[in-house]
Amino acid sequence: MKFLIAIGSKEYSEPTLELGMRVAKAFNAGVTIVYVGEKISAFSTSEVQLAQENLENWELDRQGVDVLEWAYEYLINHDYITSSGDIEGFTGEKLVQIDDDRCEVYLEGNHTQEVGLILRNGDIIQQLRDEVKRGEFDVTIIGASKKRRMIHDLIQYIDSSIFVVKNYQREKHYKMLLAVNDAPNTKKAVKYGVRVAQSFDLYTTAVTISSTADFREDYKKASAWADKFLRRSGVEYETRLEHGKFTETMNAIATDNHIIVMGSSTKSPLVKFFKGSKPLKVCEECNCPALIVK
Amino acid sequence: MLGFSNQAISNILYWVTRKRWLIVAFVISLFLFYIPSPETLTPEGHRTLIIVVIVLILIMGEAIPLPAVAMLILILEVILEIDTPNGVATSFMSDAVFFIMGSLMLAVAIVSQGLDKRLALGIIKMTGNKTWRIAFGFVAISAILSSFIGEHTVAAMMLPVALTLVRNTSKDQKVVHRLATLLLFSIAYGCAIGSIGTPSGGGRNVIMIGYISEFGLGSISYLDWIKYAYPMLLIEIPFAVLILWFTFRPNQTILDSAVRKLKVNVTKTGKMTGNQIMSILIFVAVFLGWVFLSPYLGLGIVALIGVFLYLSFGLIEWKDINRNTNWGVIILFGAAISLGIQMKETGAAEWVADQAIYGMQMIVDDVGFLRWFISVFLTGILTNILSNAATVAVLGPVVLNMGGDPIILGLTTSIASAFSYLTIVASPTCMIIHSSGLVKSSDYLKAGWKLFIMSVFLLFLVSTIYWPMLS
Repeated sequence: MKFLIAIGSKEYSEPTLELGMRVAKAFNAGVTIVYVGEKISAFSTSEVQLAQENLENWELDRQGVDVLEWAYEYLINHDYITSSGDIEGFTGEKLVQIDDDRCEVYLEGNHTQEVGLILRNGDIIQQLRDEVKRGEFDVTIIGASKKRRMIHDLIQYIDSSIFVVKNYQREKHYKMLLAVNDAPNTKKAVKYGVRVAQSFDLYTTAVTISSTADFREDYKKASAWADKFLRRSGVEYETRLEHGKFTETMNAIATDNHIIVMGSSTKSPLVKFFKGSKPLKVCEECNCPALIVK
Repeated sequence: MLGFSNQAISNILYWVTRKRWLIVAFVISLFLFYIPSPETLTPEGHRTLIIVVIVLILIMGEAIPLPAVAMLILILEVILEIDTPNGVATSFMSDAVFFIMGSLMLAVAIVSQGLDKRLALGIIKMTGNKTWRIAFGFVAISAILSSFIGEHTVAAMMLPVALTLVRNTSKDQKVVHRLATLLLFSIAYGCAIGSIGTPSGGGRNVIMIGYISEFGLGSISYLDWIKYAYPMLLIEIPFAVLILWFTFRPNQTILDSAVRKLKVNVTKTGKMTGNQIMSILIFVAVFLGWVFLSPYLGLGIVALIGVFLYLSFGLIEWKDINRNTNWGVIILFGAAISLGIQMKETGAAEWVADQAIYGMQMIVDDVGFLRWFISVFLTGILTNILSNAATVAVLGPVVLNMGGDPIILGLTTSIASAFSYLTIVASPTCMIIHSSGLVKSSDYLKAGWKLFIMSVFLLFLVSTIYWPMLS
């Protein structure tokens, strides 16, 4: 599997990097870290490029390299990648311009195989979409954003599962909350969730929510399948059948101490564009990390 | 849905959201095309204005690449029967386009010579280690240099000097935020102030000179421009320093150790090389060419002679020029100037000018003041949301058709297009300092509005007191 972790700054990206790496480790996945800098006006691209090339003559880094350096050192300090001992920090690494808006950092030794470091510039959705398409990533991990429609656009346009790391605190003991229903992506979501729960040793709740008290047969079957799967996986768990509104019920259970895992909606993209979807609403309104599995 | 897969629908939606301004431009242009032309406007003028609206929307929304906007202008000029294909081709290429092309190439050639380290040493020797003196030096040197060699060339050379001083002071961005902001804005605003000084300060100055001569409204030489504009440049420097200092006053009032480290760093480069001496000599020759030969050869051809010399002497390789030259901008300005000429030819520029004056006369009676106000404020505002050269290319023909002295109005418009203090997109220099990651979008407004007002006020004084004395 391949994970893409998007970071923005040293100040705010630590939780995203921390949880992203832990989840990636659970899946034994290859990780690429991407920093997306602000879009450069089309009137100024060459001028900015000229200025940035000139910075290299002064041994000064362009914007974003320091954030990637911080991320790289964070991974070494927390043993997410192995330190070969002869490498001191970021020394000797090379930033190579691959496209107009994309640079890659080539690390010394075998570190390039362990973790990829990418520097991009432009509209974040477009850049992440391009990177996911280029690298065929399975999961994109990103911190919560204050920008309106950011989560909507991520879920709508990026062709990978999306993990939004919202309000994650390392010292807090988290539980796993799985949304179970008859949607095709539920089984994949439960499998992803169980993998994370096993790795972190998380207590898991699999909840099936119906808008009426009368549960459809398909819902009951889905809940039974989840129960069986969880029992076999060996994690400590419970299954619940709740009735009420999906978003409110999920968020009431999740509060701020769960990691939510849901399958993505199978509605038409056009419906999702105008009306949204249940996973999107949960993701927007929750106060904890949420993974939407596609 | 209609046989499309979910993936295909998702891709279409993505395209629609990213290209929404293209769709808006298309819908508005269709609407404008089918409404009847106003009585006082020719059908060709009506269709030209539709292209102007489309272009403004596409440039502001950045929905399609700039060269595509340029091509659209040329295509529509022919399809909408505004001019013949040969007529459009003729209006597309001019000395102003040669100048923009040449000056962008000269910038690459000059920056690649490594003269910035000597520049840094020179500034530090002059200013010493007091922060306010360094800021003054940055504004003054940026302004004076950019008045001759163009603003983004100077910004590219000065940026590493400022960043080295900042990094030598502290690596903690919070500690040096105000210092970084002060030094970086000293460069950006210094360059903007300087770009008004001579025609070669910015492509937009040459575009305006081109319009004045193309429309048969007179001519203005390199030295005439300096006589009109340079005093304002010199007056603006201390005011800009004061505004920047009191807006971003840093905690570090002396940069003793940072300056010492910078000196050590730059003195390692040794004596000036033969290539560097040759580069300076070629640029001096280009400058003399602009002053003395431009009436015969044109500013653009002189700039291209400079590029030819840099290439011939092996001071720069073509692949470096090719990689770092913004060809899209060159093509766009060629197309925008062609559109400006069509605005004049079809009477669209005159119609817009009349409407603007008529509309504003309801508020103020003094037509002379109105002309000044429209040329300065409209240019100043558009330059901050569009781009300074594009603003002059589009507004130039309108302003020159408002009546009054075209030289004065042309100069006023060109100078006002340098008031690009408020946003990141206003000019390449604003973008260059923003790309350092040390200044936020909100920082531009903090000092920018004060500089904008100060500059408008100074321009008013210079144009009403000093310029009449020259004529």
